[in-house]
Amino acid sequence: MAVQNDWKEAEIRRDDIKQLLENTKKLADMYSDLLQVKKEGWENVLKGNIRRAEREKEKQNG
Amino acid sequence: MAEPISKTDSLAHSGVIFTQHLTTPVFTTVEVHGLSVKDSISITRSSSSIITGQGEFSHDFNEWLYGTGTEYIIAAVGGEGGDPSSKTFTLEGEFNTSNDTSSRSIEYHSTTIVPKEDVAAVVVEDTEGDFQALLTAKAEWKPHQIAKAGDISTLAAAAATLAETVKSSLGLAEAGMEVTKILAKLQNINPLLIALDKLADEVIKQIQDLKEAGYYYLFVDPYFQKNVTPSQPYDYGLEQLRNQAGSRIFLTLNKTSGEFEEQIEGSPSGFPSLKQIKSGDVKPSLASPRKLIPGGYNSQDPTVDPLKTVSKFPTFRVSETINEFIKAFDDEGDVPRYKALGKVSAAPKIGEDVYDTDGNPYKGWDPTKDYGLALFNIGKPQEDGSIIKDYVSARKPINSKVSVGKPSILGNTEFDGGSGAIAIIIGAPDFKEFTDVFNKFSAMFADIPEFSPTMGKNLLDSLTEIITPNPVIVNITMLDTNYGEFIAGDVIGSKKYGSYGKIKSIDPNKTVPTVMVGKKQVQVLDDLGNDLRDNNGNVLSQVITVDQNPDGRYQNMELVVSPIRGIDSLNSFIPGDRVNEQEVRGTGGFGEDIFPNYVMKGLGSGGHPMATRVYPKTALVAKETLMVLPDSTLPDFGGIQIKDIVPGWGEFFQTLENFVKQLKGMISDSAAFIQDMIDMIKQIQAFLEYMIKIIDEFLKFFQITLPSAGVYALYIPNQNGGTEGIKAELKAAGGIPDLGYSMGILFVGTEGDKLIAGGGSKNPIDLLALVLGLL
Repeated sequence: MAVQNDWKEAEIRRDDIKQLLENTKKLADMYSDLLQVKKEGWENVLKGNIRRAEREKEKQNG
Repeated sequence: MAEPISKTDSLAHSGVIFTQHLTTPVFTTVEVHGLSVKDSISITRSSSSIITGQGEFSHDFNEWLYGTGTEYIIAAVGGEGGDPSSKTFTLEGEFNTSNDTSSRSIEYHSTTIVPKEDVAAVVVEDTEGDFQALLTAKAEWKPHQIAKAGDISTLAAAAATLAETVKSSLGLAEAGMEVTKILAKLQNINPLLIALDKLADEVIKQIQDLKEAGYYYLFVDPYFQKNVTPSQPYDYGLEQLRNQAGSRIFLTLNKTSGEFEEQIEGSPSGFPSLKQIKSGDVKPSLASPRKLIPGGYNSQDPTVDPLKTVSKFPTFRVSETINEFIKAFDDEGDVPRYKALGKVSAAPKIGEDVYDTDGNPYKGWDPTKDYGLALFNIGKPQEDGSIIKDYVSARKPINSKVSVGKPSILGNTEFDGGSGAIAIIIGAPDFKEFTDVFNKFSAMFADIPEFSPTMGKNLLDSLTEIITPNPVIVNITMLDTNYGEFIAGDVIGSKKYGSYGKIKSIDPNKTVPTVMVGKKQVQVLDDLGNDLRDNNGNVLSQVITVDQNPDGRYQNMELVVSPIRGIDSLNSFIPGDRVNEQEVRGTGGFGEDIFPNYVMKGLGSGGHPMATRVYPKTALVAKETLMVLPDSTLPDFGGIQIKDIVPGWGEFFQTLENFVKQLKGMISDSAAFIQDMIDMIKQIQAFLEYMIKIIDEFLKFFQITLPSAGVYALYIPNQNGGTEGIKAELKAAGGIPDLGYSMGILFVGTEGDKLIAGGGSKNPIDLLALVLGLL
């Protein structure tokens, strides 16, 4: 037997937009973390390059 | 290369976009393209390096030259079998657009020639297709896709771009890490990469789900665009006198003296009875002079005080809203509707033959009317004057679609799926509560155009204006100071047009004596005081100017007035009308909507002894001055300004794409390049932080749950009875009180062939129910 649907006082939400915003925020957050690691990596490379250049310079200078 | 037909009339399709990540990208046009399988098009301009095209532009014609450009063949149109109103197509051949990060937009012309005899056959075909202009619909169905309209769509688009950018850059992350020689770190970030990848997938899928979830919606709006008419139940009657408490005064016959004496309604209880009134022993004490007012004495039902049954706000009951929902499915006028394009003078003349997308001719054309199908002119003939060879290219659309029509589920014979609906009604017993709930509701559904804050004066403003009308400046003249000057706080009411208002302020600089100049004829006297006469002996006279307001008894004033809504709506102050000071005598209205009943001060005291008579302050309306409206108070939903930052997002993602490209080629180990990379990463991190902040602002809005008080929802899950089934459910559903003020929105979704919402349903309505919290 079909169930009669009735009107109900409802607490309307917008979970679709909320979820989308929350996921996008999380994505931006995590991507930021990844970029942080990359940045540190590049900083290490830069430091390494400078150190290597200094060592070579010292070597050349005797 | 196809033969050129016309250099000026070939229809250029601009703004055509195509999809990424496919080998057979789908092209979407702005207007109906009218193409068929195997038709050829020439792409005159393209943003892409995958699907290229270059045409020749004529500055003389201000148009791409027809036939120039790079030629492609149409593989499919609007899915299997083609669709005359299609806006999508694919091309023959394979084009891998996975790495096409351009805006993927093209501009093209159709270059297919229709054989001459085909066109001729079409033109001379049956001309019986006479048709009628459609009636204008009221509350109309409209299509809606969450995340496809307004600010929210922009935000969703930005989220999608971020997700896609993250995904495409992830593939490069490991390579990048190797170059940066931080293998130990790489070990640590692997779970992060996996999680990011999964999350990006989820965001893309979520947006896809939302975009595919299309609905029809119907907005029943008695208050803003007023697609239904609210009623204002009141009758006019003669103004009846009331005592200070607002009770009606009747006159009762004293059978001893034969005189009528004042008696107050309800004293004793049950006075007056219908019998007393009918016998003529009791009659209403009417204001003198007689005046018809809304909510005045009702001789048909004299024992009920009409003031207690009227509302100052237009009512639209819940039952009426539900009725509109049901009626809308049967609205014969709510069908796809096309309006004439451009100026009437540029369109074919009334009665000229016009043509549908297939070239079938129709008569009965009138450019001022709406029709239910896309129409075209016959097109211009060849420059050499010969008959049109390519009707599709030579024709021009003469109308465009302005409404989609109601969801006609049973009318579609090929439709064998189900349908479902969600109806939401905002209902309240008083207007203030109604507008409060509506305010929250409209902010939450700003992706529905009617609720969009970008509409300028939106629905909420409109409701607010009903409750608190904007102040007006009223210039009055001939204020008789013998009866007192108006002061701030006085309530004034006009005699003829029923306008009321409370004086907010008075500009003292504009309070000046009324210039009342009169003329009179006087005899001319000589120095001795005798009449001067002409040669015929007639007394000489002259006309002189007289100041009729020498003591400044009559004044002009400028009043800033907050209008008060009358029972019959908000009435303007009309020049020439008399305004009098008002006083409160009782209240009107019912339920929570109680309002003070203003009457002229001292009304009814005119017949009293002189000492007890009360006179109101009085003046004439000179004119009402336009007043500059006050600025709205921030913040409102639009105050977040996502539209202002979204272009910034676009630029940001472009930068990000470039950055990713740079990552690909990071072989160089020069210090300058590495420093650039570090700086770039810092900038992107800063931007991501900014973006998170904005998202937080938006989340604050959407964390709100609409209070259940005043919001009623009816969820009709997917069922197989078509529109009739939905109508039956709407009629049968109970559980909602028939409140006085209401408006509603009805979403209808039809079952598709794909599972959505995590595989739970094929009907987007079920997804909507889930996200709205109705399940």
